[in-house]
Amino acid sequence: MEDGNKEFRPQATVEVTEDGPIRITGNFMLSDSKRDIMDSPEEVFLCRCGKSKNKPYCDGSHRH
Amino acid sequence: MERERGNRRGRKYTNGEITVYWKPDACVHASHCYRELLEVFDPGRRPWVDMYGASTGEIIRTVNMCPTEALTWKWNDEEKNRDVDPSNTNHVNFRRPELLKNDSTANAEPVSVKIMPDGPVVINGTFILKYSGKEKKVEESIISLCRCGSSNHLPFCDGTHRKTGFNDN
Repeated sequence: MEDGNKEFRPQATVEVTEDGPIRITGNFMLSDSKRDIMDSPEEVFLCRCGKSKNKPYCDGSHRH
Repeated sequence: MERERGNRRGRKYTNGEITVYWKPDACVHASHCYRELLEVFDPGRRPWVDMYGASTGEIIRTVNMCPTEALTWKWNDEEKNRDVDPSNTNHVNFRRPELLKNDSTANAEPVSVKIMPDGPVVINGTFILKYSGKEKKVEESIISLCRCGSSNHLPFCDGTHRKTGFNDN
């Protein structure tokens, strides 16, 4: 069954690393709630432990 | 017996002029509503929606910010529902057109990664999600991932950041 238009074409990969940050790669835009674009990186590591001193980015604090 | 996660019944609230519909299962805890208009949308209060806390215009503006269909609204006067500005995407007659289009161009849009202040990261678009050894296809959809580390539903946000007082500073 081919549904021409419904081909899955992922633009990015969001990887929740084990006991680590969220790694995002691919075609994505990073913004805050006001929709301002923080940057358009190719790869970003976002803190998900709440301890980073450089939020929203991971700074490795989860290891301590 | 089998109690599906979710499937909680929605609620509606009115101020006589408009009705706001609340579908808890659709909420991704993006937190727009209570950040913008705590007088009306206060998750710590029961009932959590007070339709007399702000003007109808402010309520409509805030409901339209909801990234999902968790919050929608409608005029009580059916006549007025006929000529609503289509930019009011959370009006019940306008079902989030940007999510309904399934043409190929929609698929090529960059994924939106939005950092909610003192809240989750809300990711919207078509992407691959990897977690706990799983790999899921997310297509033209919205997910919300925990940034505070306290969610009971990791890696997803369950709104716990509000109770633990998580902040970005």
